[in-house]
Amino acid sequence: MAKAFKYGRKGITGQLEPAERELLRSLFDDVISMLEPDMRVNEDPLAALVGLDMQAREPTDRALRRLLPNVMKNDAEASLEFRRLTERSLRESKVGALKAAALGLDKDELVLTPADARHWSTALNDVRLVLAERLDIRDDADAGHVHLMQDWSQAEDVESYLALVYNFTTWLQESLVQAMLHSLEPRR
Amino acid sequence: MSLSVALGPDTRAGTQTGTASSTDVLTAPDIPWNLVVWNDPVNLMSYVSYVFRSYFGYSEAKANKLMLEVHKKGRSIVAHGGKEQVEQHAVAMHGYGLWATVEKATGGDGSTGSGKGKGKRG
Repeated sequence: MAKAFKYGRKGITGQLEPAERELLRSLFDDVISMLEPDMRVNEDPLAALVGLDMQAREPTDRALRRLLPNVMKNDAEASLEFRRLTERSLRESKVGALKAAALGLDKDELVLTPADARHWSTALNDVRLVLAERLDIRDDADAGHVHLMQDWSQAEDVESYLALVYNFTTWLQESLVQAMLHSLEPRR
Repeated sequence: MSLSVALGPDTRAGTQTGTASSTDVLTAPDIPWNLVVWNDPVNLMSYVSYVFRSYFGYSEAKANKLMLEVHKKGRSIVAHGGKEQVEQHAVAMHGYGLWATVEKATGGDGSTGSGKGKGKRG
């Protein structure tokens, strides 16, 4: 069983079982493959270099739309224009954090620098956002319902399995964020 | 999406009769915009508060107050400033996985420049 992250003299540390590391690696990889920009054939290399994507569109997949939301609530056109200027680099920074977190999964013991911790917290958050869409978590009541699922021996279908995975990543992120908040306190 | 400043006295010498179709919205840098963070059932309260503290440099008390406002009221204005500035914040929030949008600070949308021209055009 994983140990909660904690903040101490070595920085932020945590411990994961091999099966948990495998699970996290595949979750990070899944989200990376959702976010990685497609290679386009006739793309202007200069536009790509400066991070423009004139063909960007609002994602049809709900989870992806949650990761890459519109910047304005009621102005699809302005949001699209903004998306074309910014979405590519947003995707890249998310993929960068997910890859950085995945790199740390080689050992049982995790020792995180402040930058590692930031990567881990956003990576776990993005994984949870995707899982929550797959689980149809729309409000606090849905979240509470999913939260009841804690016993791995109850996992009998995809949904209960996903709920358990969601709860595990939630627990892990919460413990990490508590350690990060702790690290903001002035040292005595 | 350019600035639409009041045109000179000689408005477009076109043949179009009637209304000057300036649908541009005033987006001068001095018009304040808000950064709004929306509630969702996924983001942890501790995480939202952490983001407000570490990204904006807000105190623990201020970060918690804003976070609770998001949680209870469904949304909170967490920063304001020029359009480009709040847009930059919005991208940063999206990077963290928070659901953020930008909006003009004043309630009034549109109705560009009416009342500005002092009835010059007869």
